[in-house]
Parts: sequence; C-alpha cells; structure tokens
Amino acid sequence: MQKDSEVRRGEWEARLADIKYMIHLFRKNPLVMTGTIISLFFIIVALLANFIVDPRLATTEGYTGGSYPFERKYMWSANHPIVWGPDIALHDGPEFFYLGTDGWGRDLLSMIILALPVDLYNAFIIVVVAALLGTTLGALAGYAGGIFDEAVLRITDVFFAFPGLVLALVFASMFGRSIETLQFAIILVWWPPYVRLMRGQVLSEKEKPYVEALKALGAGHLRVLFRHVMLNAIYPILVQATMDLGGVILTFSALMFLGFSPSKSLPELGNLAADGYNAIFSAPWVILFSGLTMLIISLAFNLVGDGLRDVLDPRLRR
Amino acid sequence: MRSHVISTKNAVKTIDPLVVKNLKVWFPIKSGVIQKTIGHVKAVDGVSFSVKKNETLGVVGESGSGKTTLARAILRLVKPTAGEVRFDGINIPKANRQQMKTLRQKVQIIFQDPYASLDPRQTVSSLLREAMHIHGVVKSKSEATEKSLKLLRKVGLDEEHLYRFPHEFSGGQRQRIAVARALVANAEFLILDEPTSFLDVSVQASVLNLLKDLQKDLNLTYMFITHNLAVVHHMSNRVAVMYLGKIVELADKNTIYRNPKHPYTFQLMAAIPVPNPEAKKKEILLEGDVPSPINIPLGCRFHPRCKYAKEKCRKVEPNLVEKDGHFVACHSEIDFSAEMRTGESADG
Amino acid sequence: MSDKRNAKDTVLEIKNLKVNFHTYRGEVKALNGVDLKLCCKEVLALVGESGCGKSVTVQTLIGLLPENASVLEGEIILDGDNLINKTKEEMRILRTHDLAIVFQDPMTFLNPVLTIGTQLEEVVTMDKDLLVEAIAIEKPKQKLDFTDLIKMDDSATEPKNLKISRRETKRIAKRLCAAILSLVKLPDQERILKQYPFELSGGMRQRAMIAMALARRPSIFIADEITTALDVTIQAQILHLLKELRDKIDASTLMITHDLSVAAETADRIAVMYGGNVVEVASSVVLFRRPFHPYAQMLLKAIPNIENPTSRLEAIPGTVPEMIDPPPGCRFHPRCKYAMDACTKKRPRLKEVEKGHEVACYLY
Ligand SMILES: Nc1ncnc2c1ncn2[C@@H]1O[C@H](COP(=O)(O)OP(=O)(O)O)[C@@H](O)[C@H]1O
Ligand SMILES: Nc1ncnc2c1ncn2[C@@H]1O[C@H](COP(=O)(O)OP(=O)(O)O)[C@@H](O)[C@H]1O
Ligand code: SF4
Ligand SMILES: [Mg+2]
Ligand SMILES: [Mg+2]
Repeated sequence: MQKDSEVRRGEWEARLADIKYMIHLFRKNPLVMTGTIISLFFIIVALLANFIVDPRLATTEGYTGGSYPFERKYMWSANHPIVWGPDIALHDGPEFFYLGTDGWGRDLLSMIILALPVDLYNAFIIVVVAALLGTTLGALAGYAGGIFDEAVLRITDVFFAFPGLVLALVFASMFGRSIETLQFAIILVWWPPYVRLMRGQVLSEKEKPYVEALKALGAGHLRVLFRHVMLNAIYPILVQATMDLGGVILTFSALMFLGFSPSKSLPELGNLAADGYNAIFSAPWVILFSGLTMLIISLAFNLVGDGLRDVLDPRLRR
Repeated sequence: MRSHVISTKNAVKTIDPLVVKNLKVWFPIKSGVIQKTIGHVKAVDGVSFSVKKNETLGVVGESGSGKTTLARAILRLVKPTAGEVRFDGINIPKANRQQMKTLRQKVQIIFQDPYASLDPRQTVSSLLREAMHIHGVVKSKSEATEKSLKLLRKVGLDEEHLYRFPHEFSGGQRQRIAVARALVANAEFLILDEPTSFLDVSVQASVLNLLKDLQKDLNLTYMFITHNLAVVHHMSNRVAVMYLGKIVELADKNTIYRNPKHPYTFQLMAAIPVPNPEAKKKEILLEGDVPSPINIPLGCRFHPRCKYAKEKCRKVEPNLVEKDGHFVACHSEIDFSAEMRTGESADG
Repeated sequence: MSDKRNAKDTVLEIKNLKVNFHTYRGEVKALNGVDLKLCCKEVLALVGESGCGKSVTVQTLIGLLPENASVLEGEIILDGDNLINKTKEEMRILRTHDLAIVFQDPMTFLNPVLTIGTQLEEVVTMDKDLLVEAIAIEKPKQKLDFTDLIKMDDSATEPKNLKISRRETKRIAKRLCAAILSLVKLPDQERILKQYPFELSGGMRQRAMIAMALARRPSIFIADEITTALDVTIQAQILHLLKELRDKIDASTLMITHDLSVAAETADRIAVMYGGNVVEVASSVVLFRRPFHPYAQMLLKAIPNIENPTSRLEAIPGTVPEMIDPPPGCRFHPRCKYAMDACTKKRPRLKEVEKGHEVACYLY
C-alpha cells in the first residue's frame, strides 16, 4: 500500500519529466533563448529597480533637497557636453551620465531603470485581466454554443471595431488622465482576440473523443470545461499572452507618448520618449534610448512567445 | 415495422438488460444565414434490438453505417430523434438525474481511438482517481490509489504505469487503461466501439483475450461494434449487421456466418480477406460506394448495390422480420448457405 | 528490358540496410539490417506490425528519408546501381520513371486545388516516349488501351521523332488520361478528370493514385498500406483491381501491409518484418502452411480465423521492442519461447532453409 506523500511524489515526477522535455525543446532554438534571456534580464532589473536606483532621483522637485538643477538639462557630463566612448572612464563618477540626461536633467539610465517596473507591471496587469476575461468568456461561449455564443461573438465584434485611441480619449476626458483609466481603455481593446482564440480552441477541443469519454463517465459540464477542456486549450493562450506583453508595452507607452500621461515627469518609457521628442535635434539620445528599450522588450517577449508556441505544439509531443 | 416491434416485445419480456426500440438519430443539416434546416443525416434510422444478459452482441457494418452514433445514442451522448433505449427497464433518453447517475456507473463505453480518448494531460493515476471521484466510490486518496493498482493489475498493467501520461503508452496499453477506467464503478454493460481497430494483431489478440476474461469474471454484457468480421465472429454470440443506419440482419453468430439471408451480409462476408492464400475465394464484389445517409434510397436502402433487387425493392422498404431468432430485412428470400460452403470448403 | 528479364531475375535487392533516426530521446535504430529481394514481375508483400520499419524501408528505397535519418550501412541495388549513393536529383528522376509509389492517405500526395485531370496530364506529358507511342498506336474512333502501351515501354527502342506540337500533345494526353482511368476501372472518366480530389470517395481517390503511379510505366510499383484506410467492401474492390492489373502491368510490386490476410490475398511471396529486420521470406502458400520463425508462427495464431475458430487467441507475450534501446542479438528473443543463449548475443541473418524459404533464426 502506498501513502499519500508517495502518491504525490509519483505524480510530481511524471509532470517534472514532461516539463524537462519542454525545456529541452525550448533550449534548442538560439533565437528563443536570446529572447528569454533578455526578457528575464528586464524582468529582474524591473523587480530590483528600486534597489539599483534611488527612486527619489525621479522627482523633479526636491532633488537632493535643493532646487532642481536645470543646468544639467540634456547633457552627457557636467564638464564635457558630449564625451562618450573611450573617455568614459575619465568622466566616471556622479557627474557622468552613461545615457545622458533628460529634459529635467535626470540621469536617463536611471530613469529607464525606474520606468521598467512601471511599464512591465502595467502591461502584465492589462494582459492578465484581458486574457482572463477573454478566455473565460470565449471558453463559455465555445462550450455552451447557441444563443449565448452568438451574443458573446457579437459583443466581441463591437469591441473589435472600436479604435483603441478613441476609446482612450473618451475615457481620459470622462475620468481624467490616470494610469487606471489607461489600463481600463487598453484592456477593453485587448480582450476580444482572447475570446476568439479560446472559443476556437474550445470548439475543437470539445469535439475530441476524450471529452465524450468523460461525459460517458458521468463528468459534469463544469468539470469537463474547467478541468479538462480549458487546461488542454490554454496553451495557445499562453503563447498569445506572452506575445501580447510586448505589444501592450508598446501600446501603453505609445498612449503615454501621445499625451495621456497623468504626469510628464513620471519615469515611463513613453513619457521619456515624449520628452526626447521635444529635443530630438539637440538631444537625440533620449528618444533613441527610450525607444530602443521599448523595441527590445517587445521583441524579446515576441521571441519567447514564438518559442513557447513550438514547445507547446501538440504535434511535437511524442 | 409493426411486426418486428411486437415480436421483440414477445421474445424479450423483461429480462434483457438492454432493449432498443425503433431508435432514430437524425442530425439536422443547416444552411444559410438563418441556419434553416435543409435536410437530415439519418445516421441511425429506426433500429430495434435487445441484448441478453451476459452475451456479446456484435454489431458490424461499413464506416458511416451508424454504429458509433447508435452507441452514443444508447449512452445519451447524443439526443435520439425518436425511439426508446431501455436499460434495466429505465428509458435512458428520459431518465432523470438520479437514474442517470446509476446508469453512468452501470453502462460504460470503450472508444475506438486509444490515442484520443484519454485526456493527454492527465496521468493514469489521476484519471482513475477522477473516475472514482465522479462515481463517489472511494473516500480517501490512499483508498483510490489502492483501488487503482488493483484495477491496473486486473487489466494486465501494474504499479510502474500509475504515474505516466497517456503518450508514454502503446495503443494496446491505452485501451487497457480505458477498460480499467470503465470498471471503476460497478459496470455491468460495456459498449466496445471498435476497441481494437487501431491496434496491431498481436496486441489485438491480447486485448480481446482480456475482454473475454473480464466478461467471464465480472459477468459483463457486451455490445461489440466493429467492421472486422473475423473479430466479431471471435467475440460475439449474436451478430447484427448494419447498413445505412438500419439493422438489415441479426442472428446467432453461426447462423449469420453459415447461412446469411441478406444479400448485403453475404457480400460483406465475401469481401473479407482470408488469412489463407489457398482459399478458393468467390469473387463476389460489392459494387459502388456506400450511399450518403442524407439521401437514403427509396424502398430497400440496399437496392442500388444489390444484385437481387426486384421491382418491389425499389418501392417498399422491407421490415426486419424474425424467424426462429433470425431477423432479416429483405424482400427476396435467397438461400446463400450453399455458396457460403463452397467458399469454406477450400483447403490445402 | 522486360523481354530479357526472366521471372526469377532479381530486379531490386536490399542488402543489410541499417537506418537510424536522431531524436531527443536517443538514436532510434529503426532498420537493423534489412535484406530483401524483389523478383521480376512478382508481388512481394512486406508484412509486419506498426513500427517494425516497413515505411522506413520504403522511404529509404525511394530516397525520401526525413532529415533526422541516416543510413549507416547497406546497399539498395536497382539495375546495377546502388541507390544509396545517388543524389537527390537522381532519385527524383528515378521516382518519376522507375519507382512509383502509392500511400495510405492519397490526400497527402494529391494537390487539393488541381483537378485529377490536370495532375494526371502533368504526369503523362512528362513522358515524351509515351506520347509518341500513343500517337503511333491510336486508332480513330476507338478507345486507347493503356495496356498496349505498358508492354511497349523500352522494348520499342528505335529513335522516334520527338517533336509533337502543343495541340497534339494536349489532345493525346487527354485520351491517355481517360485510358489510364479506365485501366483502374474508374467509370465515367471524362467527368472524373474534371473533378477535384475531395470530390472523390476514398476508394476512387486510391484508384486515381494507382492510375497516376501506373501512368509512369514504372519498373517497380510500391503500395504502402493502400487499403488500410478503406472499408472492407472497398478494400475488396481495390485488391481485386490489383490482382487484375498484375498481369497487365509490367512492374514488380512491393506491397506493404500490416494485414496478413491482405498479403495472403494478393502476394506471391511474403516477407515478414519484426523490429527492423526481415525475419522470414517465403512464398505465401508456404508461409501460411508452415511458418518457421517463432514470430511468424505466433502471429498467425494471433489472428482470429472464421474458418477455424478457437475460443482463445494466442497473444504474443511482451511488447514490441523499444527501438532506442533494442534487445541485443535477435530482437525477438525476449518474447520467444525457444530463445537460446546464442539468440541474446548475435543477430541471426537470413538463411535459406528450404528452397525459396529464408528464415533469420538460430533454430534452423
Ligand atoms: N454529430 C454529427 N453530425 C452530423 N452527422 C454525423 C454526426 N455524427 C455522425 N454523423 C454522420 O452519421 C453517419 C454515421 O456515422 P457513425 O455513426 O460514426 O458511423 P460508423 O461508426 O458506423 O462508422 C455518418 O455519415 C456520419 O457522417
Ligand atoms: N521521422 C522519424 N523520427 C524518429 N523515428 C522514426 C521516424 N520515422 C520512423 N521512426 C521510427 O522508426 C520505426 C519504424 O517506423 P515505420 O517504418 O514507420 O513503421 P511501419 O512498419 O509501421 O511503417 C518506428 O520505431 C518509428 O518510431
Ligand atoms: S532466433 Fe532465437 S529468439 Fe529469435 S526467434 Fe529464433 S529462437 Fe526465438
Ligand atoms: Mg465508428
Ligand atoms: Mg507505415
């Protein structure tokens, strides 16, 4: 006779072997690995941002207690306006800025580091809420079919047709410019694809013989849907969500860039880029570096999503 | 139609565990924006039979003849358009929740495709445990594990297989797992829908042996669906032959193989390849393809492929008529027994 | 070529063919030294359970092994050439002329957006000789008979005027297509030529595939499980067709099947495969009367037989060997009741025990 703990261990070992195999598949593609390493790097930096950089640097007033040092606007180093390259070592120190400073004279590198948690956190929240909402609705619609399915599809279509920018504008004018408003607006635009994706998945999954087998066994609809069908259908959603993380970061910062930002001085990639845009000729590095960061993050997440798609592809399973 | 319904009633009384009466399953074909029904796929089109306690009723027919749909209708996995399915006297299509709960324990099904009928993300242990949980037959996890092991041994697997995923098993082993799951509660009646058609012959042999052993040990009643006539001959006591959603002949195994009365049965027998290169096979070929169950031919549904079709066959649908337990639905009363024997007598 | 060949001549010989696949879980030793001879104008059935290497043998033969496969050892001799050493392009040419193959699922080889006629015409017009010969023998107002053309292949060697106008090509190709379809007993050829693959039933599609293969006038015709996906009655029709064709066509046939009964119905000789080896070869009558290899013996007992019923089937104990880590020596030895010491050490090679009856087993 076996004890409960042994039961669990056997179960775990089986799942672990499965995961190991997935990791193996994942590691085979160098591009995907690059994407993973980059995204992990950004996530770790974001998590540690407040330790790496003093968040007080971001404040435009009260910087080191004194007045705001306007004389450091858009520069590389206090003494040499543009010295970058082999001379860096000479100018290392509190007065040297690796990526220059922004319009407020804040160190751009520090600001980008402080921006990472803001952007990643918001993207994460938006994607999770959109995916949860869309997936649940899609799963229910696909599984139930009939009028409910039809109704959900029509509603989704309406939201599909809505331009996100207009929606954000409307919200901003209704509720004022705040991060929450922005989140809300973006979620409203990002959930419909998940409905379609999940609905399609569930439609094909629910026709599979194992579902019929479960029903013959007497399993109820909730069990079939949530324990089996959704678990088997969820993988493309994970792929989509990973890819969307990149997309949402771009959308979020684009909206911030366009002026939906509640505060111009908030360290956020779109905000920083907007600031750089104002000085695109005198200080091109600001928009360059903040823009590059956005690009690299969203690309990295896309690569991870691509890799996940391959790993979770059922055809690759033995 | 009337005559055989009455005759089954008389012969059956109440002892037969499964009685199916005039069962019809029509799938509507919808078209256009307003999803108007423009016709029906008559997958099962008026089927009546009964299965006796502890026997194996074989059901044979080409693919598309409605075998799987019949099985699904019996289990209420699809809603019948008309007719009755009585298990232990309870009409399954109209059974209430409580009755369904017991029925789901007693009547089980094994599906054709072992590669698709198990949830790919569940280990054997968790799928057996789930089945026990649904039927409420065990209380604790350790009891479930113990029972799972017992079941696995019963179907010829053991402990080491408990924590594996379906993809780690061969087809034969997966069918064994499916059988184990079907036996979790007190199954009495098993519908076997082509359980070995995806398996190799040597594996098929061991699964068939297992099924025979289990039937004896646990007093099971089987409905064995297949398109393989040799397998159905090996497994069954009685055989029903289906064509386009109807049973065209039903009789004792030996009767149907030696003395078929329906031309379709006869030609189906002739089409089976025999594992004997020296057999002097009669070259009786069934011409043409199976017609679509959407446009079922008028009269006898077999007449476009039948060599013996008469004028009457094109107009009037023959009823399934019983004579000494031999049910046939055919207007021409032809005796094929002589021809069957010439085919058999060839040997080396 | 055909008239010079003797019925007993070997057209194709596979010698000690070893093929591995590289996978995550390790090297899959799929073929472990396959030996096979195909004689002129015979039907040889390659029989075995799934995973024993039948399809890999065929893939190697026609030069279509997947990327992760490698041929370790062995030769495939066709007309004195070793096919293993041929380039991809040479193999492609060979496939269009000498080796014709039909698979279980015709939809993988038929182009779904082209009509049957277009696809068949493409095959026919590739063979200029065929067109010339067809023009030579055609009679107005009379149907072309493709069997006449098959017999003419290679034998009529005198150089011909290979210049045919486009219109002429088109016209004769149309007639040829109809002739080929009637060879495989497809009725109403004009209509079928205009249809798309999905409009045909499974049996008709398989006939169309056979037609396309035969249109090349191949010297070797390979049929890989062509009736497996069909119903018994349709299977019977196709098997019947194959039997009829065998006298009409000029090819040697390699018939792959997992079904012993199908092999019994169609083949002259049967080769039984197990775990990447051919373990027994004999004429089909002899193999069914007196199988020598323990595996073949048990396999015959495992099929339910209507003529000769038993209450229990004799299942083969154990399971098919894992090809990554196969048993050493004879791959059947863990399941064999006669296994001896020698069986676990060295692989038995095919040995002629009786005339025309070869077995790979230490018992003989
Ligand atoms: N859910 C369904 N909707 C529409 N047609 C169906 C459905 N299920 C089965 N059919 C049709 O019913 C006929 C019988 O199918 P089936 O019962 O699966 O036959 P068999 O099991 O004998 O091969 C087929 O023509 C099939 O296409
Ligand atoms: N592309 C492949 N990659 C890895 N292993 C393969 C591949 N193709 C075939 N095999 C292995 O080779 C063996 C023989 O396969 P195959 O020739 O397809 O069998 P069959 O006799 O059923 O046609 C099997 O064990 C199979 O797992
Ligand atoms: S060689 Fe040995 S193990 Fe293999 S089949 Fe013959 S007796 Fe059995
Ligand atoms: Mg079926
Ligand atoms: Mg194969």
